[in-house]
Amino acid sequence: MTRRRFPWFSYLLVVTGAVLTVVPFLDMLMTSFKGPGESGTLPYRFLPEAFDLSNYRAAIDQLDLPVLFRNSVVATGVITGSVLLTSSLAGYALAKLRFPGRKFIFRLVLSTMMFPPFLFFVPHFLILVHWPLAGGNDLFGRGGAGLTVSIVALAMPFLVSSFGIFLMRQFMVSIPDEVLEAARIDGAGEFAVWWRIVVPQTKPVLVTLGLLTFVDAWNEYIWALLVSTANPDVMTLPVGIQLLQDYVDPTRTLPIVMAGLVLSILPVLTLFLLLQKYYIRGVMLSGLK
Amino acid sequence: MVNVLTPETQERAAHGPPSAGAAVDGRGRTRQRRRQAVVAYLFLVPTLLFYAVFLILPLGFALLLSMSRWAGFDLGDIDPVGLDNFAGLFADGSTFLAPILTNTLLFALGTVALALSGSVVVATCIDKLRFQGLWRTLYFLPIVTTVVAVGNVWKYMYEPGGLVNGVLNALGLGSVAFLQDPDTALPAVVVVQAWASVGSAILILTAGLKSIPESYYEAAALDGAGPVTVFWKITLPLLRPSLLFVCVTQFLTGLQSFALIIVMTKGGPGDATNVAALEMYRQAFSYGDWGTASAAAFALFVVVLAATLAQLWMFRRKGEDA
Amino acid sequence: MTASPSRGRGLSRRHFALALPSALLASGCAAPHRGTGRPGDPIVLTLLSHYASGELKAALQGPVDEWNATHDRVKVRTKAVEFTDLLTTVMVRQAAGQGTDILHPYCLWNGQLVRAGVLRPAPPEHAEEIGRGYGAAAVGSASVEGKVYGYPTEMQTYALYYNKRLLRAAGIDRPPRTWRELEDAAYRTARRDAYGNTLVQGFGLSTYDDSTTVGQTLALLNAAGGRFVSADGRSTAIDSPAGRAVFDLEHRLVVSGASAPGVNVYQAFASGQVAMVVSAGWWTTNLKGLMGKDYRDVGVAPVPVPEADDRPATLSTGFMLGVNAAAKYPSEAWEFLRWLNTEKVRVKGLGKSAGTGATATRMSSLQVSVGSLTGRADDMRTLLGRGGDPNLRPFLDALAYAVPEPNVPGAQQAKSLLRKNIEALWTGQRSVDEALRTTRRQVDQEVSRSW
Repeated sequence: MTRRRFPWFSYLLVVTGAVLTVVPFLDMLMTSFKGPGESGTLPYRFLPEAFDLSNYRAAIDQLDLPVLFRNSVVATGVITGSVLLTSSLAGYALAKLRFPGRKFIFRLVLSTMMFPPFLFFVPHFLILVHWPLAGGNDLFGRGGAGLTVSIVALAMPFLVSSFGIFLMRQFMVSIPDEVLEAARIDGAGEFAVWWRIVVPQTKPVLVTLGLLTFVDAWNEYIWALLVSTANPDVMTLPVGIQLLQDYVDPTRTLPIVMAGLVLSILPVLTLFLLLQKYYIRGVMLSGLK
Repeated sequence: MVNVLTPETQERAAHGPPSAGAAVDGRGRTRQRRRQAVVAYLFLVPTLLFYAVFLILPLGFALLLSMSRWAGFDLGDIDPVGLDNFAGLFADGSTFLAPILTNTLLFALGTVALALSGSVVVATCIDKLRFQGLWRTLYFLPIVTTVVAVGNVWKYMYEPGGLVNGVLNALGLGSVAFLQDPDTALPAVVVVQAWASVGSAILILTAGLKSIPESYYEAAALDGAGPVTVFWKITLPLLRPSLLFVCVTQFLTGLQSFALIIVMTKGGPGDATNVAALEMYRQAFSYGDWGTASAAAFALFVVVLAATLAQLWMFRRKGEDA
Repeated sequence: MTASPSRGRGLSRRHFALALPSALLASGCAAPHRGTGRPGDPIVLTLLSHYASGELKAALQGPVDEWNATHDRVKVRTKAVEFTDLLTTVMVRQAAGQGTDILHPYCLWNGQLVRAGVLRPAPPEHAEEIGRGYGAAAVGSASVEGKVYGYPTEMQTYALYYNKRLLRAAGIDRPPRTWRELEDAAYRTARRDAYGNTLVQGFGLSTYDDSTTVGQTLALLNAAGGRFVSADGRSTAIDSPAGRAVFDLEHRLVVSGASAPGVNVYQAFASGQVAMVVSAGWWTTNLKGLMGKDYRDVGVAPVPVPEADDRPATLSTGFMLGVNAAAKYPSEAWEFLRWLNTEKVRVKGLGKSAGTGATATRMSSLQVSVGSLTGRADDMRTLLGRGGDPNLRPFLDALAYAVPEPNVPGAQQAKSLLRKNIEALWTGQRSVDEALRTTRRQVDQEVSRSW
């Protein structure tokens, strides 16, 4: 790395790129303060005439943000919790326990990652609809609405993550067997070994995996759109803001929608900025050796 | 929600070192083994159940539907029609091959080209600067932002009264109806998808850059090579694995994504931004043609699979070269 | 999912861990809440429409509130989505077993909805009442293969909107009646600035959505005596002399600069930048709101025909209220629809003009209050009799000669395909010949597949 001269050219490029990256966010923020008739008019103006917070109040009222927020939190929470739990359990079994079929199951976990999500939209939806004994269905999954009546429908297809299992397994492999063996000799059951030794040792990875899952689940759009079309009661934030923009006061649709979007990305953005080293490591892990 | 892994990682993982139950004598060992097997399967039960219900069952179901005609409501009405749905997709007059599949490929290729070239330049430049973490964080913001926000903000920026046209007008250029004109709609959406994925590419390329030994640069400096020569002769060739990885994952993502398109254009104007995954979604959920939808999904899957296999092949070959 | 009995303090936690997924499942097992069927509880009928916002929503809620106030046993609850989401919502909710009892589909979709088993045929007495009370185009739209599936509600016919001020400025004192006059007027009213930017379009072409884009073209096609889909519904009939004439006309208008399809016609016409547009009757209300006192410049005339002695014709589209095939209480639903659509009640708020004792159906009053029509000519005459907006007249007259939009299975896809092709024609991506050929190939493939 040559640092003899001041790298002005690199600065120029990087700063330009950074501006291009950040400006849309600023535009969203500025638009969210604009008053009626101030947005979408010619000539374009970046700054609002006054920093008017009323769009935020309108977004909360007109978009029913508290309900959308609650649904998003529940779905994201269930998904993240389930992924962490199942990944850690399965990862431990695959890394540190010996049992017939281990290789096969590990291969299975790896091979599932080859199937792209779009292949599953239609059948997942139909499976939830025809879930036996749910939502008025009979034993054969007929006659009712199945799991689509429930908020768990948002989370169901994402409860287990093959990538999460793989990630946990890779990290658990490096835990020395002697430590586990010592605990076993002290009389700890496998569950205790997992909970008291393995989980604490893999905490940083769990944070990484949790963060990746949280962000993905919070931002998920297509599946949530489908489930909320069937049952608007479980609408999540992204879907609600996209779908309901036709219902808000038309002279300020855009500012209200932008205000809603600002509010909807704040939780994730905050979390990301606080824990970004974990998140960034996760992205590297998903890509590199 | 899952990124595709490099085959090397898979390889190493699959042949990972065996563990557990080191030196225990015969009987105790059998007992411990049996106990471990029971516990292991207990730990794996949720995962295996999930795979059965949300992976194997749906695959079979989708395959059945792709070869059936079905009105959609009563499972008893599924009517097998063989390969009719696939034939329909590729029949004369069908729009699936052109423009839909062509759009899909153009979308994926365009995204890769833009995101890759952008991220290579920025990643190499960031590597020379201070506050590298800050820059990477900024570039990373779009990744953690929901597609609804990204899509709507850009949709608004592309409008006549929006930022992009505002800049064009300030430069004395005429306004462009980016998303309404069939010629510009697809490129306009590609730019957004690339904008949103540059961050993770930069991250991976940075890791690749860090793994290039300093000694190469020192040797080049001794030889008096300029920064451009260094970039072409040292950085790029040694970055090849990371580049290839970014290239392939972004391409695969590009082939599959349609959330941004739903938000920004719903596939329009006309079919100008319609892609295969979106067509599948519409055939199923707007037109109730589950058979055609499933057939379209499998047709796209074949394309994705071909790309994945090509990736495996490329990495294998690279492995042999090394 | 049972945890085998085992020792160690991990036990309870393991139980918890493994019980979590099953608890999740159980929480979803509650039956969906709809009409409970318990004695004493009212039956609740749900109704899905696209009357989602503004005055449309209020207009529908009025009669529904009236019904709920006067009926104890059966209550109606409305749900609404935007029109662009309506078809997907109907299909997804039906597939999810959560379809509403009463649906308000666009008649274009009837073939698809009947094939998918969403709609329930009208019982004989209702079918008879529908046949008696509505014009032929309305009944045709609400029928699939000769069977009636619902009460026609909102009817739209297409006519020519023109800006009197712009026509006068170009020395034209009456709206065009033939295509030759139409073209002439379009060229004479169109204006551009020195840089080639369009200031005034002579004839506006909407690219706003499927319905408006295709509607204007089909109205011209019908006026030329052509049809989009053949009588048996299995192939397209657009590759005909009439179809070619329409494509040629639009192509000439675009090439000459009299039409600029990229512009949003609906805003441009309202701000006096478009001289003529073919559009449906619902637009009058919008224009009144957008234009204020400038609305007096707006005139409406029948869609011009190719030659002066051709018979008038245009396109009609419509919605209907039907009952879900999966509805638990179909006869109650049909009774509500009869009450809403054919029971005549005293008309309120008409003023002196209509005279006392004038009656119309609740639906007709509802539609007229938002500037639309229904397929009931008698109601329309009563409600629009005197003093109403004269611009609604041509739409009402057209009820007699309009051609209903084809509603075969696959009609929505066929419409999208036609839209894509005419847009390709307008943007110069395809020639008239290519556009006609690809439309025929693609639509034939689509409608033949659906059968």
